[in-house]
Amino acid sequence: MSDLETNSHHRAKSGVRPIDKSRLSIQAMGLGRDFVTYKKPEGLLNSIKGLWNRKYETKVALQPTHLELEQGQIIGLVGSNGAGKTTLLKLLSGLIHPTHGDARVLGHQPWKREAAFLRRISILLGQKNQLWWDLPPADSYDLLARIYELDRTQARKRVQELAEMLGCRDQLLTQLRRLSLGERMKMELIGALLHEPEVMFLDEPTIGLDIVAQNSIREFLATYVRDRRPTVILTSHYMDDISLLADRLLLISKGRIVYDGQVDDFMSRAETRQTLSLKILQPLSEDLQLTADHRIAAGSRSLSIEIPSQQIGPALQKLLAVSPIQDIKIEEVEFEDIIRDFLEGRHDHLSQ
Amino acid sequence: MSNPATDTLTHRWSTRVVHEVRDLAKHFALVGAFARVSLMSELEYRFNFAVRIFTDVIWYMAQLSVFEVLFRHTDSLSGWTLETMRVFMGVLFLTDSIYMMLFSENLDRLSDRIRRGDLDLLLVKPVSSQWMLSFQKISVAYFGNFIISAVWLGWSLMQVPGFDWWRLLWLLICVPCGVIVVYAIRFSTASTALYFTKADAINYIWYQLYRLGTRPDTVYPKFLRYAVLSVLPIAFLASVPAQVILNRTGSEMVLWGIALAAMMLAVSSFIWKTGLKRYASASS
Amino acid sequence: MTTYLNKLWGGARLAALEQLTYRFNLFSDVAIQPLIVAAVELTLWLAFFQSTGRSELAGFSQDHYLAYAIWAAFVARISANWMYEWNMIDSVETGAVNAVLVRPISFYSFWLGQFLGYKLLTSSFSLAVPLLVCWAMKLPVQIERLPLALLLVVFYLIFVHTIAVIMASMAFFFNRVHHVTVAKNITLWMLGGEFFPLDILPENLREFMIALPFSSAVFRPVGYLTGRLTTEQLGEGFVSIAIGQVILGSLAFVLWRAGRRRYSGTGA
Repeated sequence: MSDLETNSHHRAKSGVRPIDKSRLSIQAMGLGRDFVTYKKPEGLLNSIKGLWNRKYETKVALQPTHLELEQGQIIGLVGSNGAGKTTLLKLLSGLIHPTHGDARVLGHQPWKREAAFLRRISILLGQKNQLWWDLPPADSYDLLARIYELDRTQARKRVQELAEMLGCRDQLLTQLRRLSLGERMKMELIGALLHEPEVMFLDEPTIGLDIVAQNSIREFLATYVRDRRPTVILTSHYMDDISLLADRLLLISKGRIVYDGQVDDFMSRAETRQTLSLKILQPLSEDLQLTADHRIAAGSRSLSIEIPSQQIGPALQKLLAVSPIQDIKIEEVEFEDIIRDFLEGRHDHLSQ
Repeated sequence: MSNPATDTLTHRWSTRVVHEVRDLAKHFALVGAFARVSLMSELEYRFNFAVRIFTDVIWYMAQLSVFEVLFRHTDSLSGWTLETMRVFMGVLFLTDSIYMMLFSENLDRLSDRIRRGDLDLLLVKPVSSQWMLSFQKISVAYFGNFIISAVWLGWSLMQVPGFDWWRLLWLLICVPCGVIVVYAIRFSTASTALYFTKADAINYIWYQLYRLGTRPDTVYPKFLRYAVLSVLPIAFLASVPAQVILNRTGSEMVLWGIALAAMMLAVSSFIWKTGLKRYASASS
Repeated sequence: MTTYLNKLWGGARLAALEQLTYRFNLFSDVAIQPLIVAAVELTLWLAFFQSTGRSELAGFSQDHYLAYAIWAAFVARISANWMYEWNMIDSVETGAVNAVLVRPISFYSFWLGQFLGYKLLTSSFSLAVPLLVCWAMKLPVQIERLPLALLLVVFYLIFVHTIAVIMASMAFFFNRVHHVTVAKNITLWMLGGEFFPLDILPENLREFMIALPFSSAVFRPVGYLTGRLTTEQLGEGFVSIAIGQVILGSLAFVLWRAGRRRYSGTGA
């Protein structure tokens, strides 16, 4: 099959370039984690039975994974919910213990939580507050400075610098709870960067934010990462985060890494598609073949279809030739769907 | 001869009654459904039953210890002997276990739910919102407490010389009144969250008021005693029922209890409804 | 060592700042609430002395018991860590503990600093209340004994903090540890001596209860302050806590490590 050929071709040419072992900052050797959960069938009777007889089942959150990251590399970790992204992130930051395998981050075993290790890393969990809810961020930073044993004058200066870059200097003395979601995330970012971590784990840094806040955080991260070159693992639901920030992309599905390659390459190969919804003024007098896959029946006045971006123009032209358009909406297809399609199309070949 | 006007009137009244009865039946059926779901979720946590009972036995012991210790140094305290004080405690535990089973969890969470805006979903349902909020979670585990308190009460009554066991029937009236009074006070205090954003202090006041009810009213100074028997009738939690079965107060106290229960219920409903109006106009 | 103390102080400072944010809450927490508790207790002692017609109990007058009741209400409030224990368990259950785990500070110290800071702030306000009340009612209190009595309370706070870490570690293993803590807290409450001075208990029970480290929550400091105990008896409190701290401290260490192994990073 031609698909298989392109794949092997791609791997040889533009895949991961050979890793310089001396500059490794993150290394996972067969790292994996299982969870045990209790399953209860529906109903009262089963609840009572569950008192003495419980069925537990083991769920694999992360299959044994091998991974090597060089210093200064920025990796985008992508996958649908529950695919194992966060588990990998938590293992590497030392939050949880693995059930098998081993890992080294900056030469340390993360889950030993040695102070020397923790002082050099940072993790940012989107949607979670690590700062004090009822206090202004500046007070929280003071505690962080003490925890990381930073010089407090230096730390204060650094807070000012970072706040300047993020455009949130005026809010440093406002109670956290009174800040907007975007401002809060900026404050969390400052807290995460205060001690100049060499390795950063960013879990959904832009989730739930409005477009403006998303863009400003994205641009800040891009500048920061370009200037300081920390090693970064980033997960996100937004392709824009990944494409702007990351140079290497890992695709995780069902606890396995199923794709490892350049971001640009993934972007060009994952078809970008749009959802096109529109209404026309007059019902069609006869069937219309809009694209190769879509046909509109005579008499209908509205439609909603998913088509590749480059087909939108021709399709609209065809339609306009028959009837004026009353209302039109074009939306980008969800990132999750792109991944799913990508996996459905290629995953079989790649995982071999 | 039938008068068509009265006919329609009777008809209208009878349909109204049928409607009301149906509505009431629906509300009680709802309580049954809540109990079933509650039981199921409690069973998920198998240690819960044991832990709850264990916790409350310790709680009972803590309550008892004060009097057990004091009575080592005296034979009577404000008209109570060790034996009658144990009866008082038994009645307290019994009423309390019923209150806990039906209402504690619902009402403890009420202020929070109001503040988080959970009410909106509830208010659109075709059921009385006060009813829904009050019965949503039935803490089935407290049934164990009920049994334990009943056993304790029985044992303590056996120690009272010449106790007339028929007097226990008074509990059928007194205990529901006590539960209603406690419920109404708690519900009213909790629903002040509709008026004030931060009601922590009010919850604390509730708890102290409740503590006043865990001791016989006769130990209190005069003004406090009148208060717990009238405007803040927490004495009906245990003190009054215990005195009724011990034949130390007349049946007029029972009548007064019934009246108070009805009044308190009306007050709670008034506070709730007025608060809702404010809440609705403020949040839109 | 200095960096460690610096970390603790940072937490203490933050907890104090947090408390100062809500003035009304603080006021109700440190003054109004314990005053009401004390008032309810006072009625019982007054009723006792009035209805029995006695002038003393176990060698102490009514005024001694009133002084005890007032101080007990406030000291018990200071020795309690229900709220912090609750938050600690909650942080394990919800995954908020992640914010501590990724930083170079232990869970124990992270919370200890804040807990002590909170207590330092609240008690420096609240202790004025029993002082004033005892002065106004001319109740027998040996003020010069206050510093030593409070030192014992601080020791006790570190001890109950260790217990809180044990409870939080259990949250790695079990659901709803909160329910267990209620039972535990009521037990400690009983053993502490808030309701009545432990020395009016029957003899054999009395010795046992006083020997436990938990009596240092209320009975030892307040008994010392109101003249029921000697300085030596107060000193025994320090020893008792030290022994308890060694035993429960090791347990906390083992449980926490085991719990971390099991931790699956809830939430987040």
